[in-house]
Amino acid sequence: MAKAQLRRVLQIAAAVLVVALAIGLYKAKTDAARTEARVRALQHEISEGESDLRALRAEIAELESPERIETLAEDRLGAVVGSEAAALPESAIAQRLPAPQAPPAQE
Amino acid sequence: MKAFNPAAAFTRAHMPELPAEAAPARNRVRLLALGIFAVLLLLAGRAVQLAFSGDPLAEPRGAVIAAIPRADIVDRNGVLLATTVRAFALTAEPHRVWNAEETADALRGAFRDLDRATLVRRLNDRSRRLVYLRRSLTPEQRDAVLALGLAGIGFQAEDRRVYPQGELAAHTLGFTDVDLNPLSGVERGLDAEIREAGQAGRSVRLSLDVRMQYALETELEAAARASGASGASAILLDGRSGEVFALASWPTYDANAAGAASEQARRDRVAGDLHELGSTIKPFTIAMALEEEVTNSRELFDLTQAFEIDSSVIQDHEPVEGLASLRDILAHSSNIGAARLALRLGGARQRAYLERLGLTAPSTLELGRNQAPLAPQARGRRDVAGLGFGYGLAATQSTLAGAYTVFTNQGARVAPTLVARGPDAEIERTPVFSAEVTRQLMAYMRATVTDGTGRAADVPGLMVAGKTGTAELFQGAAGYDESRNFSSFAGVFPANDPRYVIVVALDDVGEGAVGGAIAAPAVARTLRRIAPMLGLRVEPRAPAR
Repeated sequence: MAKAQLRRVLQIAAAVLVVALAIGLYKAKTDAARTEARVRALQHEISEGESDLRALRAEIAELESPERIETLAEDRLGAVVGSEAAALPESAIAQRLPAPQAPPAQE
Repeated sequence: MKAFNPAAAFTRAHMPELPAEAAPARNRVRLLALGIFAVLLLLAGRAVQLAFSGDPLAEPRGAVIAAIPRADIVDRNGVLLATTVRAFALTAEPHRVWNAEETADALRGAFRDLDRATLVRRLNDRSRRLVYLRRSLTPEQRDAVLALGLAGIGFQAEDRRVYPQGELAAHTLGFTDVDLNPLSGVERGLDAEIREAGQAGRSVRLSLDVRMQYALETELEAAARASGASGASAILLDGRSGEVFALASWPTYDANAAGAASEQARRDRVAGDLHELGSTIKPFTIAMALEEEVTNSRELFDLTQAFEIDSSVIQDHEPVEGLASLRDILAHSSNIGAARLALRLGGARQRAYLERLGLTAPSTLELGRNQAPLAPQARGRRDVAGLGFGYGLAATQSTLAGAYTVFTNQGARVAPTLVARGPDAEIERTPVFSAEVTRQLMAYMRATVTDGTGRAADVPGLMVAGKTGTAELFQGAAGYDESRNFSSFAGVFPANDPRYVIVVALDDVGEGAVGGAIAAPAVARTLRRIAPMLGLRVEPRAPAR
């Protein structure tokens, strides 16, 4: 009797385990699919972000191109390229500096 | 006394007795059941483990690599030279287009270069589900088309190669077609590396420096325009590592619109154009003679008389008066002196040196095309003598620059490269001359710049050494045309610690436009600009009196 009961209990436990496993498997697969979808969405987002970043980097490189910088330096700072201007001797630097100003008189 | 159990008695009376032969089958069933139970137990264990160890997908996966079909190309300082950006192909589904003519007209409003007849034909082609109308649209262009609200018109995402520096280093970088297949330049020469790096999400670093590239290109263009040259080329490299800092061809083009450029503009003249080198080869002739001990630095030559060899007269443009040393031969670019030394050397030894200098093989630059030199074997004394002063051997300027690296490596040659090298990179050096001979030649080449034909290349503080070159252009059956010259200057600096090599050449300049008059000043102007980038100091110009 005890042996038959034990067998019955084991059979019920096994059935419960199989059902639990089936439910667990379904849930795990659903979660995995959801997570995979999220990963795919994030990867797409990263890819889009990378693409935008590359376009922006290209724009930065264009804006920082030597030709543009040289033109801006000439137009806005009055700078000239090395081949057209001689380097100043150290003694000449003082001459180019603004004359010292007298400190404002204190009241 | 044992109690009577009627149920058991009934069972025993009515249940058939299992035969003894069924025992093995029973055992197999039990074994199978045990196996299934073990598998279930394993599955249960794994389920419990997963339940307690958390979501395996939540584990860190490492950096996400955004693979692209072609990697970014950057210069030695990381400045972007080429990249791959998102673009769009303009497509149409003909069966959904309402009115092909109206759609074509609307699209031509956005893209003037589209041919109306072709457009209408494609939009009417109902045999196809999808037709391509235009490739490589920018996001702005796509938005402009979207705003038109045309039925049956759509887009497909694709990649597009972009060169943010425009014309800068266009010949070196090369370009791809709309399907990103490489067509020229580094894009083609390093195609496998660029694709591999793209998949790995890293960039390809070149040895170029955009600042030096810009300086070289602008000065080359100025010199070419001023001299009326039909084309020009220049190269600047670190002679010790072989890394090319700048590589310029003129005229140039915008790599973003390579299809619209002329064949002439797209021609890479540094590694693709062959020219007889002229006098820039003379330092090698003298070095060969010294190395083979057919002369020495104390010998004096009488160069006042032209001499005839196999019915050809060899003479100097400006005769060297009095007795001349090897230094004078180089400084005053004497053809007579170089020819005599070459004849003493002989064709076989001369050829062996030319081969070791790399002047008989194509350059090793990582470009789509490196033109092989025209270097026929010298067949007689006249050929040997001509080779001594740069005739009878046509090579590219990149090949010449590679040969000049012998002066920066104590007589060993280093192959130029466009790929940035690490500080510990192994560099292959081909011994050609001894250190003593190259030191002597450096002194002679410095004298060429201080007292000889290359004075215009001198930059105070940089100690430029070098040699001018002027070769008359060969016109086939008509022979050499004195009124058309190929003028160049090949230099090494600083002479007291030679490291850098520069070659500037201008093609098809007029009579009298010798290397010392047009190429040498361009070298000086370029070096003044790039010296600070190399950590070298240019001395101020002497005040004008």
